[in-house]
Amino acid sequence: MASVALSEAEKVYIVHGVQEDLRVDGRGCEDYRCVEVETDVVSNTSGSARVKLGHTDILVGVKAEMGTPKLEKPNEGYLEFFVDCSASATPEFEGRGGDDLGTEIANTLYRIFNNKSSVDLKTLCISPREHCWILYVDVLLLECGGNLFDAISIAVKAALFNTRIPRVRVLEDEEGSKDIELSDDPYDCIRLSVENIPCIVTLCKIGYRHVVDATLQEEACSLASLLVSVTSKGVVTCMRKVGKGSLDPESIFEMMETGKRVGKVLHASLQSVLHKEESLGPKRQKVGFLG
Amino acid sequence: MLKSKTFLKKTRAGGVMKIVREHYLRDDIGCGAPGCATCGGAHEGPALEPQPQDPASSLCPQPHYLLPDTNVLLHQIDVLEDPAIRNVIVLQTVLQEVRNRSAPVYKRIRDVTNNQEKHFYTFTNEHHRETYVEQEQGENANDRNDRAIRVAAKWYNEHLKKMSADNQLQVIFITNDRKNKEKAIEEGIPAFTCEEYVKSLTANPELIDRLACLSEEENEIESGKIIFSEHLPLSKLQQGIKSGTYLQGTFRASRENYLEATVWIHGDNEENKEVILQGLKHLNRAIHEDIVAVELLAKSQWVAPSSVVLHDEGQNEEDVEKEEERERMLKTAVSEKMLKPTGRVVGIIKRNWRPYCGMLSKSDIKESRRHLFTPADKRIPRIRIETRQASTLEGRRIIVAIDGWPRNSRYPNGHFVRNLGDVGEKETETEVLLLEHDVPHQPFSQAVLSFLPKMPWSITEKDMKNREDLRHLCICSVDPPGCTDIDDALHCRELENGNLEVGVHIADVSHFIRPGNALDQESARRGTTVYLCEKRIDMVPELLSSNLCSLKCDVDRLAFSCIWEMNHNAEILKTKFTKSVINSKASLTYAEAQLRIDSANMNDDITTSLRGLNKLAKILKKGRIEKGALTLSSPEVRFHMDSETHDPIDLQTKELRETNSMVEEFMLLANISVAKKIHEEFSEHALLRKHPAPPPSNYEILVKAARSRNLEIKTDTAKSLAESLDRAESPTFPYLNTLLRILATRCMMQAVYFCSGMDNDFYHYGLASPIYTHFTSPIRRYADVIVHRLLAVAVGADCTYPELTDKHKLADICKNLNFRHKMAQYAQRASVAFHTQIPSLKIEDTVFHVFDKVKVKIMLDSSNLQHQKIRMSLVEPQIPGISIPTDTSNMDLNGPKKKKMKLGK
Repeated sequence: MASVALSEAEKVYIVHGVQEDLRVDGRGCEDYRCVEVETDVVSNTSGSARVKLGHTDILVGVKAEMGTPKLEKPNEGYLEFFVDCSASATPEFEGRGGDDLGTEIANTLYRIFNNKSSVDLKTLCISPREHCWILYVDVLLLECGGNLFDAISIAVKAALFNTRIPRVRVLEDEEGSKDIELSDDPYDCIRLSVENIPCIVTLCKIGYRHVVDATLQEEACSLASLLVSVTSKGVVTCMRKVGKGSLDPESIFEMMETGKRVGKVLHASLQSVLHKEESLGPKRQKVGFLG
Repeated sequence: MLKSKTFLKKTRAGGVMKIVREHYLRDDIGCGAPGCATCGGAHEGPALEPQPQDPASSLCPQPHYLLPDTNVLLHQIDVLEDPAIRNVIVLQTVLQEVRNRSAPVYKRIRDVTNNQEKHFYTFTNEHHRETYVEQEQGENANDRNDRAIRVAAKWYNEHLKKMSADNQLQVIFITNDRKNKEKAIEEGIPAFTCEEYVKSLTANPELIDRLACLSEEENEIESGKIIFSEHLPLSKLQQGIKSGTYLQGTFRASRENYLEATVWIHGDNEENKEVILQGLKHLNRAIHEDIVAVELLAKSQWVAPSSVVLHDEGQNEEDVEKEEERERMLKTAVSEKMLKPTGRVVGIIKRNWRPYCGMLSKSDIKESRRHLFTPADKRIPRIRIETRQASTLEGRRIIVAIDGWPRNSRYPNGHFVRNLGDVGEKETETEVLLLEHDVPHQPFSQAVLSFLPKMPWSITEKDMKNREDLRHLCICSVDPPGCTDIDDALHCRELENGNLEVGVHIADVSHFIRPGNALDQESARRGTTVYLCEKRIDMVPELLSSNLCSLKCDVDRLAFSCIWEMNHNAEILKTKFTKSVINSKASLTYAEAQLRIDSANMNDDITTSLRGLNKLAKILKKGRIEKGALTLSSPEVRFHMDSETHDPIDLQTKELRETNSMVEEFMLLANISVAKKIHEEFSEHALLRKHPAPPPSNYEILVKAARSRNLEIKTDTAKSLAESLDRAESPTFPYLNTLLRILATRCMMQAVYFCSGMDNDFYHYGLASPIYTHFTSPIRRYADVIVHRLLAVAVGADCTYPELTDKHKLADICKNLNFRHKMAQYAQRASVAFHTQIPSLKIEDTVFHVFDKVKVKIMLDSSNLQHQKIRMSLVEPQIPGISIPTDTSNMDLNGPKKKKMKLGK
């Protein structure tokens, strides 16, 4: 992962600051940086979103394609994740440099979506055992400025909120052969319910305290952090520890509580922003990549 | 301003794709009205008139422009093409829809808009900032386009008002859609249906005839009785075809029987299958060449192809019962073996209607405006048209277009398009022939002619680059008399080492026709020169075909030469291809050349050269026949024309001289050599010609016919066929051998052009050559031009261009060439038929074996002016009830019957 080189003195300064609930950029331990979200930024996807979190810049595109359901889940569609760490984010990603990180993030995304409650996969089914929608979620890292997982999970949720899947009908004739008919109206489409899609809250253990939304510098001072995926109702769906340091059970418990609390607020503000954006309608002036 | 257009598309694999296109809106698109200050001069080319005076319409007396919607354009193109209709605004939306729905109409509308006098203006409303509309929620694509058209119409009216205060100019929206019209009027746009408008043009009553009758109410009056079952919608048909319940195929009506047709099933897994359709109801309004879906009937209902000739002569509409009786007549008892898969048409996938030539059969009822039209092509049903000028159209050749075929009508409805002229006039008939065979015959356009070299033309220094100077050689050309497009010349001389040098020099057409320009495109489209009895439809403009490319004697001409070094046994030692300059020393006819070879006292250079060629040609021919090349006979008929009237006064079968085959031999050799060379150089994109071996079943009639004379024809290889044909002689019937050869020709497959990268079977069966192409007639065949270009690149005499090495483009060219060649052949035959009145034989009889001698009485039957026929009545052998008694005025026809007789059950 992208990292910065910090001197010992700088590290001490950060650790001590956190101790006092005062971070380098003036935030408290449970404060997020300002999050910018814009959806529908890539017109040739089914849904897309761009999220900027400090210097972290993420673009997510969702592409709906028709395919066959998996054998074990004949009446469900599924999601596929792919994370591309572009070399423009950091030179370390050049060549195959970003592959490991990409796979790691994709695996995390698979894990947090791998439960019945997050997305209603049944709505993605067109005809059991034969046709379903596969949503290819492509994540592109444009810039790394710390707290990748949180930013990505917000972007994925926003992109899925924005996703519009064309409505198709399955016509069946007497012999049982099926044909798929596409609606003539491009506005006739289905949308996913994103109500229960969790967001990741990363809690970085710095010194004796933990912070949310760590910057690159803060990440460099942390030995271990905990990824908690929280739904809008505050339910923890998945948890993962990253980093080489260890965490004692007590602080894990504490961090989970913080995660739930912060997560609920994060969900609420994201939801309101998304609804507000949508209410502007298709005539909304898009910012896109010029902003 | 940038917008993006988004739409969904179903892919062939069944997936759904989202496609996004960038779309730019501009504000500098002109309205096309001259003198408009707001957008003055923002447009070029043909525009509207400032004050359109005509046509005076009683509905809107003030000057106006017309703005038709898509359906009006699609169905009423004949009206719009009329010179009386001018000042029409064609919207881009409309144009695009037309292009998607009908390519021929699109081409016609393009031609009209290019005509300065018509004052048609194409307005790119989709890119205009104020007239672009986006598809709204709950609106389908059609609704959106209708709205776009209305928005444009409204914009125009407001825009024209701005031009000047006292301006009365209006834009009138023409639509046949009732709802659309209502909406337009609501929005304040003056709108009429096409019919209303045309009828209001009091000065041009004849326009009403050209109006396609589509209004449904009118058809319902005809007769309430529904004759045909409904066509299924396309979506159902596609499902059915996928599941195999229905079969998709091309509908081919029978020439002989209007109640019968076959459908060629498209299928790649097996070779083409045929399904028979019998009876009006089963044909279900399909018209020749339509792509249809058929359903197979149960085996118990299968029928055999009938042997009865039936022409639709009925005038009355109500005799459907009689029809059924006739249908029953077809279903005579036949043996099980003769039964063929039988089906019925359930729906039409694609109509392939075109304007048809033919004649009007005037209705018996005086004052009636509805008349039946009988197309010249017997496979097309009669068409009902409405006209007030029936009496003037009687006895003329006219063109009619089909508009539709309602379920309750015995005949399709159509409308009058054009009057070609009197029946029997040679020009009219030639026009009919060319139109019916889709031969492009319009004079070359200015754009095409602009690419011709400027006269006076001479060979320049630049032309000599990469060219060999062969002007010193004693070259001569041998052609049929009266030939002006000489594309080949020959020479032969002895070399110092005792070997012979033989050269074939072909006109260098590719020097003049540069790839990609209008001249090239037009020649590619025409594909071939069509020779009719008294007319030649050139592939390239006359300046090239009869002058600059024609290898006339005593002038310097550019050529592409193929030069061999041979020994006296005609074995090729060396082959060389080069662009060259030649100066032909003599243009001979076959007869003149023969005379020179035969007369012992002539010993000039040309004669020795000819003798050398002749000697080699004989050896080459022998070798070719030993390899199994076929010599099939199709007696060519030649006409002696009266020089004044151009009427044929005499006809004779073409005499074959040694010199004919001499020229032919060397042309074959050149073609084969070139084919090898270009394939060697361009293994993936050489244009070659192949002739597939016919499947054994094709030979059945030949074998049977021969067996009836106790002769055996072997068909396992080309060689054994050739040999057994040579042996098939009958001492009592000397003409038999020729007849068998004619019959063998019929068994053959069609030779076709193809691209070497798209096929792996190159064999030319007829010539017994593993590889073959056409190189020797670039003036009259486009294939040769391509081959010339390939060869020029191969020998480094010319540069290549991207399309030349694109095998898909090449395959497209081949497809067009094959089609044009076939049509040209048919047109040629039809022309011969018109000039000789070769009759269609019609004999319902029992025990005639093919090639039996018969004696017949011949008379001209001109009761049907379109298909004058010679009636033959049987005189000998006598069969009671059919033959007529011998009488002294009988003419003897000792010649054989040319057509295979239809054997009655």
